[in-house]
Amino acid sequence: MEPPKIWRERREKYLALGILCQECKRKSFPITLYCPHCSSENISELKLAQTGKILHFTRVTQTAEELMLYAPYIIGLVELDDGIKVTGQITDTKLEDLTEGMKVRMVFRILSKNGEEGLIGYGFKFVLI
Amino acid sequence: MSKREVYIIGYGITKFGEHYELNPSSSASQALSKAIQDAKISKDLIQSLYFGSMVSNRNNQSYIGGKACRECNLNIPITKVDVGNASGAGAFHQAFIAIKSGLLECIAILGTEKLSDFVNSSTLEKILGGTIDYQWEFEQGATLTSLYAWMSQAHMKEFNTTMEQLASVPVKNHKNGVNNPIAQFRREISLKRFLSAKRISPPIGRFDPATHCDGSAAVIIASKEFVENHSEIERKVKVVGSAQSSDKISLHHRETLSSLLATQITSKKAYEMAQISSKDISIAEVHDSYPIGEILAIEDLGFFQKGEGGKATVEGKTQLNSDISINTSGGLKARGDPFGATGIAQIIEIVQQMRREADKRQVDDIKYGLTQNVMGTGASVLVHILSNMEDDK
Repeated sequence: MEPPKIWRERREKYLALGILCQECKRKSFPITLYCPHCSSENISELKLAQTGKILHFTRVTQTAEELMLYAPYIIGLVELDDGIKVTGQITDTKLEDLTEGMKVRMVFRILSKNGEEGLIGYGFKFVLI
Repeated sequence: MSKREVYIIGYGITKFGEHYELNPSSSASQALSKAIQDAKISKDLIQSLYFGSMVSNRNNQSYIGGKACRECNLNIPITKVDVGNASGAGAFHQAFIAIKSGLLECIAILGTEKLSDFVNSSTLEKILGGTIDYQWEFEQGATLTSLYAWMSQAHMKEFNTTMEQLASVPVKNHKNGVNNPIAQFRREISLKRFLSAKRISPPIGRFDPATHCDGSAAVIIASKEFVENHSEIERKVKVVGSAQSSDKISLHHRETLSSLLATQITSKKAYEMAQISSKDISIAEVHDSYPIGEILAIEDLGFFQKGEGGKATVEGKTQLNSDISINTSGGLKARGDPFGATGIAQIIEIVQQMRREADKRQVDDIKYGLTQNVMGTGASVLVHILSNMEDDK
């Protein structure tokens, strides 16, 4: 990952911010310049709900080199309590201990590492409540 | 819409698999030159080349079409079309539009990929990350396989689709692949073997995904006027439908994971263009990169009721010469999946069937044939319909 990209995405990846449209009042994630529902430019930042439930989950064994740090890991589709759906890892647990609908909480973790001396990518994952 | 009629007048295809000895451009020029020979026309009559390739730029030569044209001694416009791993069908669609527009009469279309150069599978996984939402799916940890696992789970939950029903898709396709000379895997695999394989991304097992391999496929298309003016052309197959549409790239933005909206929209457009319905299709090549891919396809294309795809497959309704013959070539699963070449290879299978060149996998009484090529998890879908009707010949 390149420094400009890490810097650009800091508010979404580090603070988990989406947008709230002031016209149609709908929420969305990630941050865009226009509301993806009504195309209005009249938008404001929105802090995503910090808890939600697991809709789908499975295991990832093979992926890009920089993401292999914690592989095999669990990837989940999570519906946050504000209705927004996001993709994120379910960590600090085992696949066999998970069931659909389980409640989770957002945590700030390392996502990727470009070798021993490369940049570290941070972002959100989820843990069971 | 333009009434101009478009025909496929020739095809060429290489064997799919691992070809360490072949340069990417040699693989591409092989398919292209075979297609020109098959069309029986002078190569000087070809006015343009559209080529589809997703990964060619990673072999440090993005303009593979240019090298292929040098090897075939052609000095024509060369345009690369990028619809990710559906670039082959994407190139075909653009060439179809060019003939329909009236500006061009005869075009070569090439799909090519050289994936065995990527000996480290992490590199290919990263490239495939570009076909899903790279920023908010792939970098968060998801992969194409894990997203197809969620789609499988959603279908299993909503329609009680079973593991046996899912596994019956690759079992059937491997059976068909035995009789396809260009297929990468010409052997059957038992249902038991699929079911007992290790689950890499549950419910997806080790033998479920199609393999990423090398291969090139090319076709020559021409207008009706061109065909009438060149008596050397012996065989032609009419293209009656060509459509493309898209859906939200990330699964977390979609309403449902148990249907591909882009397949539904695209096939509706293609059926309207061809002025037929799904009932008129006798044979189809669909995107079975994972077992759930074929089940979603046969439902969303309208061949079976929503939720009935798994049951229909287990009951043999999609076998060779049954209600509708699906993936007679062996599909992506047995033929192998060289991304950009796959969309063209699907079209070639239908052409071979219509020209009655499919030997032991020949389907009888074909009216219309359809192909469906999917990018990523369905962010973009292309559908083509070919006609075998008497009055079109």
